[in-house]
Amino acid sequence: MKILIIEDEDNLRKTLATSLEKERFIVEHAPDFQTALSKLNDYDYDCVLLDIMLPDGNGLTLLQELKKMHKKESVIIISAKDSLEDKVYGLDVGADDYLAKPFHLAELHARVKSVIRRKQNEGELKIEVENLKVYPDRHSAFVGEQELTLNRKEFDLLYYFVTNPGRLIHKGTLAEAVWGDCIDQADSYDFIYSQVKNLRKKMKLAGALPEIRAVYGFGYKMCYGNSSTENEK
Amino acid sequence: MKLIHYTIGRLSWVLLLTMAFWTLFFYFQLLNEVRDETDDSLRNYKKIIIKQALRDSSLLTSHVDILTRYYIREIPEEAGKQYEERFVTTEAFNEYEMDEEPVRVLYTSFRTDNGRYYELTILTSTLEEDDMLESILWSIIYLYIAMLICILVVTQLVFRKSLRPLYKLIHWLDSYTLGKKNNPLENKTKVSEFKRLNQTISEMAMRNEKVFGQQKQFLENASHELQTPLAICSNKLELLSENPCCTEELLDEIGEIHQTIGRIIKLNKSLLLLSRIENRQYGDEKDVNFNALISRINTDFNLIYAPKELSVEIKEEGIFSFRMNETLSQVLLTNLLKNALIHSPNKGIIQISIRANEIVFSNTATDAPLNTEKIFLRFYHASDKKTESTGLGLAIVKSIVDSYDLQIHYFYDGKHHFSLKKIR
Repeated sequence: MKILIIEDEDNLRKTLATSLEKERFIVEHAPDFQTALSKLNDYDYDCVLLDIMLPDGNGLTLLQELKKMHKKESVIIISAKDSLEDKVYGLDVGADDYLAKPFHLAELHARVKSVIRRKQNEGELKIEVENLKVYPDRHSAFVGEQELTLNRKEFDLLYYFVTNPGRLIHKGTLAEAVWGDCIDQADSYDFIYSQVKNLRKKMKLAGALPEIRAVYGFGYKMCYGNSSTENEK
Repeated sequence: MKLIHYTIGRLSWVLLLTMAFWTLFFYFQLLNEVRDETDDSLRNYKKIIIKQALRDSSLLTSHVDILTRYYIREIPEEAGKQYEERFVTTEAFNEYEMDEEPVRVLYTSFRTDNGRYYELTILTSTLEEDDMLESILWSIIYLYIAMLICILVVTQLVFRKSLRPLYKLIHWLDSYTLGKKNNPLENKTKVSEFKRLNQTISEMAMRNEKVFGQQKQFLENASHELQTPLAICSNKLELLSENPCCTEELLDEIGEIHQTIGRIIKLNKSLLLLSRIENRQYGDEKDVNFNALISRINTDFNLIYAPKELSVEIKEEGIFSFRMNETLSQVLLTNLLKNALIHSPNKGIIQISIRANEIVFSNTATDAPLNTEKIFLRFYHASDKKTESTGLGLAIVKSIVDSYDLQIHYFYDGKHHFSLKKIR
C-alpha cells in the first residue's frame, strides 16, 4: 500500500509518515505543489493525503489535475479549514474524505483504511482482526460465526479499535471519536471506562481472540496475536 | 422628551414671565396716565369755575351734574390762608348707577375780591381699577394663548423643515448595526453643521466597520494558523505514547499533556465557531424540531454524565419548531443542556420544559445567582473555575440566538433557569 503525503509543514509530514509506516504502509512525501504534481504524474498511489494550502499552489487544483489524469487514487484532504462549506466543496471536487486539522492519528488511520478498503473490494466491506469480523456499513460484528449484540456506542468503539489494532489510543481520542461534539468540553472520561468494560465483557463472552487492554492513566489498546507480545515489554 | 416639546416648553415659560412683567408695567403706566389726565382736567375745571365765580357771585353755590360736580363753601380766613391744594381718589355714591363708584376729588381754595375765602371741591368720576385690571388680564391671557399657538405652529414648521437632516441621521443610526450590511448614509443638506455631523458619523461608522472586520479576520486567522502546530503537537505525543520504551509514569504524563492540548484544540474550535457564527457563515435554514433534538442530545449526554447521577426531566407541553441552520440548532441545544448538566451538583435535578414558543432549562443550584450581565460574555467563569469549561459555551449560545429571531434570558429563584424564546 503506497501513500503520498502532500503537506508543507515538515514536522507534521514527518509525524504522519512515521505513524503510517508503523501501519506497514509505504509512505512518500511531497512538501509543495510542484513536487506533488510530478510524483502523481510518475507514480501510482493507493491513497493521497492532501493539504489544501500549499506554498506554491492550491491543493484543490492538484485534486482537479489528478482527476484529469483519470487516476484512481483515493484522496483525503487534510486542512486547517474546517467549515462545512470547505468540506462540501472538497468532496464535490472529488476527494474521498475530509479531515480537519488538528486530528488524532488514530482517526487518520481509520479514515485511510476506510478509503483504501472501499477502493479494493467494491462489494462488502469487512475488517478482520483474528476471529473478529466487523462490517462497518451494516453496523454488525461477528466473533467467528456468532454475532455480537452491541449498542451504537459500543459498536463505534469497536470499529475504532479494529481500525487501529495494536495501537495505544488515548481515552480522550476515543471519547471524541464516539461521542463527537457532545464531549467537547467535558474533562472527565469516566463514562468511557464503563462502556469499554461492557464491550470487553461481550467480546470475552463470545470468545474473541483480540483483547482490549487498559493502559492506566492513558487509554486503551486492542492486542491481538503477536502484536500483544511485540508491543508489551 | 422630544426636542420640539422641550423647546416649546422653554419658550412658553419665558413668554409667561415676560408677559406677566409687561402686564404689570403696562397696568401701572396706564393707571398713571389716566390719573394725570383726570387731574389735568380737574385743574382746568378749577380755573374755569373760579374765574366764573369771581365774575358772578351767584355761582358761589354747589353744582352737580353727571360728569362733574363741585361744592363751594366759605371758610375762615386763617384756614383759607394755609389751605393746600390736594387730589384724592375716593368713592362716591352714584344715584344713576345706584352704586358706589370711584371718583377723583380736587380740594382747593380761592379768595374773592372782597377778601373772603372759599373752599372748592371738584369731583369727577374716574376709571374703575378692578374692571380695568380684569379686562387687561383677560386680554393678556388671550394674547398669551394666541402667541403660544403661533409659536407651536412656527416651531413645528421650522423643526420639520430645518431639522429634517437630523431626524434622518437619527433614523439611519437606529437602523445601523455593526458587522451587518448597512445602507450608505444619504442625507443632503445645506446647513454646514449637519454636513459636518453627517461626515463625522459616516467616517466613524467606516472606521468601526474596518476595526470590526480586522478583529474578526484576526480571530479567524489566528485560530486557523494554530490548527497545524496543534496537530503536530498532539500527533507527536500520540507517536511518543506508542514508543515501547515508555514507562507507565511517562505515559501518565503524556496523557495529561495530550489532554491539555486537547483543551487548547477545543478552545480554538470554539473561537472559530464563534467567529463563523458572527460572520454569518451558516446558511441553509430548515425547520428544526427542538423536542426531538433535545431528547436525542439528552440520550447522548446520559452516558457521559452517568457518574453524576443526575435526573433529567423533560416536560413537553408543545412542539417548539424553529427555522434555522441545523448544525447551529444542535450547537445551541447541546451547549444549553451541557451547561445545565455541568453546573448541577451530583444527584441534581434538571428540568426542561418545552412549550410552543419557549424552552426553559432549569437546574439545581448550589451557589448564588449568576451575574446576569456577564454570564453571556466570552471567558466569563462563575465563582469557581471549572476545568471542564472553556468559558465559551454561553457566549456561543448568545451569538447563535442573536443571529436569529430568538432571545435567551437567565433568571434565578433558588434554581438556575435559562429561557429560550421566540421573538414574535
